Amino acid sequence: METWNPVTGTENPGPRRAEGTTSPSEPVTSGEAPAVAPVRGTGLRLAYDQRVVVDGLDVEIPAGSFTVIVGPNGCGKSTLLRALGRTLTPRAGHVDLYGEPLASLGNKQIARMLALLPQTPVAPEAITVRDLVGRGRYAYQTLLRQWSASDGVAVRAAMEATGTTDLADRKVSELSGGQRQRVWIAMVLAQDTDLLLLDEPTTFLDITHQVDVLDLCAQMHREGRTLVAVLHDLNLAARYATHMIAMRDGEVVATGTPHEVVTAEGVEEIFGLRCRIITDPESETPLVVPLVTR
Amino acid sequence: MNRPTTVAEAVAEQAESAGRRGARRLLPVVDEGHLSVVGVVVPWNRRATLVVTAALVLVLTALVLSLTLGRLGVALADLPAVLRGEGSKTEHFVVFTNRLPRALVGVCAGAALGISGAIFQSVTRNPLGSPDIIGLNAGAAAGAAAVTLVWPGILPAPVGALLGGAVAVTLVLLGAGRGLQAPLRMVVIGIGVGAMSLAFVQFAITRTRREQAQEMAAWLNGSLNARSWEHVTIIAVALVVLGAAALALSRGLQQVEMGDDAAVALGVPARRVRLLAVSVGVGLAAAAVVVCGPVAFVALVAPQVARRVTGSAGPGMVAAGAAGALLLVGADLVAVHQPWFGSLPVGVLTAGIGGLYLAVLLTREWRRGTL
Amino acid sequence: MTAHVDAPEQGRTIASGPARRWGLGAGLVLAVALAAVVAGLSLAVGSNQLPLSTVWRGLFAPDDTFEATVIASRVPRTVLGLLVGAALAVSGALMQGITRNPLADPGLLGVNTGASAAIVAGTVAFGALGQRSIFFALPGAFVVAVVVYAIGSGRTGPTPVRLVLAGAAIGAVLSAAIQTVTLTNPEVFDSYRFWVVGSLAGRPASTVDMVWPVILVGLLAGLALGRPLNTLALGDETARAVGGNAGRTRLLGALVATLLAGAATAAVGPIAFVGLAVPHIVRTITGSDYRWLVAYCVALGPVLLLGADVIGRVVARPGELMVGVVTAFVGAPFLYVAVRRSGSGL
Repeated sequence: METWNPVTGTENPGPRRAEGTTSPSEPVTSGEAPAVAPVRGTGLRLAYDQRVVVDGLDVEIPAGSFTVIVGPNGCGKSTLLRALGRTLTPRAGHVDLYGEPLASLGNKQIARMLALLPQTPVAPEAITVRDLVGRGRYAYQTLLRQWSASDGVAVRAAMEATGTTDLADRKVSELSGGQRQRVWIAMVLAQDTDLLLLDEPTTFLDITHQVDVLDLCAQMHREGRTLVAVLHDLNLAARYATHMIAMRDGEVVATGTPHEVVTAEGVEEIFGLRCRIITDPESETPLVVPLVTR
Repeated sequence: MNRPTTVAEAVAEQAESAGRRGARRLLPVVDEGHLSVVGVVVPWNRRATLVVTAALVLVLTALVLSLTLGRLGVALADLPAVLRGEGSKTEHFVVFTNRLPRALVGVCAGAALGISGAIFQSVTRNPLGSPDIIGLNAGAAAGAAAVTLVWPGILPAPVGALLGGAVAVTLVLLGAGRGLQAPLRMVVIGIGVGAMSLAFVQFAITRTRREQAQEMAAWLNGSLNARSWEHVTIIAVALVVLGAAALALSRGLQQVEMGDDAAVALGVPARRVRLLAVSVGVGLAAAAVVVCGPVAFVALVAPQVARRVTGSAGPGMVAAGAAGALLLVGADLVAVHQPWFGSLPVGVLTAGIGGLYLAVLLTREWRRGTL
Repeated sequence: MTAHVDAPEQGRTIASGPARRWGLGAGLVLAVALAAVVAGLSLAVGSNQLPLSTVWRGLFAPDDTFEATVIASRVPRTVLGLLVGAALAVSGALMQGITRNPLADPGLLGVNTGASAAIVAGTVAFGALGQRSIFFALPGAFVVAVVVYAIGSGRTGPTPVRLVLAGAAIGAVLSAAIQTVTLTNPEVFDSYRFWVVGSLAGRPASTVDMVWPVILVGLLAGLALGRPLNTLALGDETARAVGGNAGRTRLLGALVATLLAGAATAAVGPIAFVGLAVPHIVRTITGSDYRWLVAYCVALGPVLLLGADVIGRVVARPGELMVGVVTAFVGAPFLYVAVRRSGSGL
C-alpha cells in the first residue's frame, strides 16, 4: 500500500470545485480571498430538554477540509454536529451555511447543500439497497415528479463510488455491518452535496470496516467535498483528518491540524490520558500511545 | 479514467444528454420502479399493483356476495335488474335499504381503518402501532356508552364516541410522555386506558334493561347492522378527503421511517409530517368509529398483511386500504351468514381473529428478535 | 455480603440488618391493623351508616337489634373482600416475581379473562354453576397463564412489554369468544353483564365457603415462595449458580398465582389492577425482598380492595359503584407509574 498523506491529498480538487478552495495544509490567510466557510456556528447554545450541553460555542469548518471532531464521551461532539446539520435547533446563537443563516434557508434547499448521516439511521424493513440509496434524492423530487433520469444516474454513480453496485438488489437487513454502512454513505452521496456530515460512521464496525469506511470518506474528500465527521477513535481521526476540533465538556479546547491538536499535553487535557505521541509509520500522522501506569 | 467518478459529474452529464433528447413523454413509461406519464412521475411497484388489483376484485366479489347470500338474498341473475330499480319491493328494500349501504360502509370503513393503521405503524416504526391499541376504540366505546346508557340523550352516540376517543388518545399520548417516540410505552398505557374504558362500559351495561343493554353491547363491539346511506356518505367523504391527504403524506412518511434525523437531513419537515399524518390517521379511525362503532384490530392487521403480501418497504397506503376493506367486508359476511350462532356483530369476529393474529405476530417477531 | 439476598431491581429499603427486620415487622403489624380498620369501615359504611362502636358490639356481642342484623349481613362481604384482596395482591406479587416484570397483574396478563371464559363456557354447558364455578375458573386461569407466558417468551425470555401484549392478544380472543356466547344467549348475557364488572355485593354466603380453603393454601404457599423468588430475581443463570432451581420456582409460582387469581375471579368476578398496584406500593416500603413483599401484600391487598369497595358505596349513594369499576379507575394510574418507573425497557 503506498503511503499517502491526508494532509496533502487534496492538491487536485475535483473538476467541479473551480475556485476559492485552498489546500487545507496551507493557512487560509495566505493573501488570497479566503473561501467562505461552508459551515460556521456562532454563540451556539445547545440543549436537550433542560440539560444544556454546549453554551456560547463558536466553531468554523474550513472549506474543502476533512474535519474530525473528537472528545471524550458526553462532551457534546454529536450535539454540535447535529446543530451544524440543522437537525438540532440551537437555543441561542446561529449556524451559517456559506454565510447564510440556516433559519433563512428552506429545508430542501439546505438538503441540496448539506448531507448528514446520523448515528443510528433505521433501515425500513424489506428495503433493497437500490431503494435506500434512492431515498437520498428526496430533496430533488416533488409530489408529482417523484423520480427523474438524473435521480437514477445519481444513484448509480453513488453506488459505484461506494462499491455497492453488486448489492443493489439485496435487502439492506441482510447485509453485514460494513456493507450496510457503505450503503448509508451511498445514500448521502446520492444527495449530491458539497458538504457531508457524518455522526460516528465507524461505531459498531470492526477495524477492517472502520478503515474501509474512512478510506471511502477520504476518497470523497479528494473529489472536492468538505467532510465533517465525529469519530471516537483518536488515532484514526489523526490519520484521516486535515483539520481537527477537540471538545471537552461542551467547549472547544483545541483546533488545528492533527499534528497541532494531538499532542501529549493536548491529549492529557482533553481526555485525561497520559500518553506519548509517536509518528504513525504508514501515514506519518500522530499516534497516541498510552503510558503504562501501575 | 474518463468515466465520471463523482455523482455531480454524472448528473451534469445526464442533464446535458436529457436536454438534447427532450424530456417530456406522452406515453406512460415504467422505468426503474416509477411510472411516468405527461411529466408526472410516481412510484410503481408491479407486485404491489397486482396485489391491490386482486384485492379490489375480491372486495367486489364480497360486495356481490353480500347482496346474494342468505335467505333474503337476491339471486345473481336478477341482481343487475334490481340494481337498475326493476326488482320487487322486497328485493328493493333488501338491497337498497339494508345490504348495499351496509356493504359500502364496510368497504369504506375498512379502507379508512387500514390506511389509519398504516399511518400509525409508519409513524411509530412499530408493527403494533394502531389507533385501537392506543385507546381510540376503547375510549370511543366508553364515550358512546356514556351518552346512551348512563346519561341518555345528552349527545348523539357518534359524537359521544368521538369525544370519548379523543379523550382516551390524549390520555395515552400524555401518559406516554414522549408520545409517539415511545410506541411500546404508549401501547402499555393504552392498555391501561382501555381497561378503564372497558370497566366503564361494563358498568354502563349494568345500568339498563336487558334489551337495550344487549343492543348496546352489540354496537360496542363494532357492528355494521342497520347502516343507512347517511353513514355511507360520512365515511365515503372522510375516506376520499383524508385518504388523499394520507397519500400525499406517504412520501414524507417514508423518509421519516428512517429516523427523524435522517429524514430532516434529507429535506423532510419531519415533525410537521408526523403531526399531520397522525391527525389524518386519527381522523380516519374516528370516522370509522362514528359509522360502525369501535371495530377492533382491522387497523392493526390490514397494513401488516398488506406489507407482507406486497413486499413493499414504505407505508403502502393504497394496499393497506384495500386490505382493510377486504378484511372488514369479508368478516362481516362471515359474521352474518355463519350457521352456528345467530347474526354476530362484525367486531366480535375481528377481535377474535385479530387477537390470534396479534399473538402469532408477537411470537414470530420475538423469535426473530425484531420487536 | 448482606445477611439476605437483595434483588437487583430498584426499590428503596428503610435500612439493613436487624434494625430493618424490626422496622418491617412493626410495619407489618401496622398494616394488619390498617386492614382491620378498613374491614371495620366496610362493616360500618353503607346505606345504613353505623358508628364503629356499634360495629364492635355487633361483632362480639350480637343481639337482636336491627343494627346487628345489618352488620351480620355485611360480614360475608367483608370477609370476601379480605380474602379476595389478599389473593389478588399476592397473585400479582408472585407474577411479578416469576416474570421479573413490574407490569404483571392477573387482569393484564389475561388470567382473569381465562377464568371468566371458562366460567361462561361452563354456564352455557351446565347451567348456573354456583359453587362449582371454581372448578372451571382454576383450570381456565392456568391454561391462559401458560399460553400467555409461552407467547410472551420469544427467544430471549419474557420482558415486561411482551407479556402485557401477549395478555392483551389472548384476552382479546377470549373476550371475543365470551361475547359470541353472551350475545347469542340472552339469559347468559343477563347474568354475565352483572358478574363481569367484579363486585363484592350480592354474592351468596356460600361463595366464602367455596374459596377460603383455596385462597388460604395459596397465601401460605406464596409466603413460602418468598425466598426462592428472591433467588430467582437474580436472573436464571445466577439463580442456578447459587443453588436455586429457576424452573421449579417458576412453575410453583405460576401455579400458586393462578390458583389465587382463579379463585378470586370465581368468587367475585374479574377484578384488575389490584395485583399490579398493591405490590408496587408495598415495594416502596419493603424493597424487593419477596418474603416481606408477600407478607405485606396479604395485609394491604384487602386494604385496597375493601377501601375501593367502601369508596364505591360512598360515592354513588344511595346506589353502589361496583368495586371492579373503582379498582380500574384507581389502579390504572398505577400502570402509568409502573411504566414510567421501569426505565429503559420501555
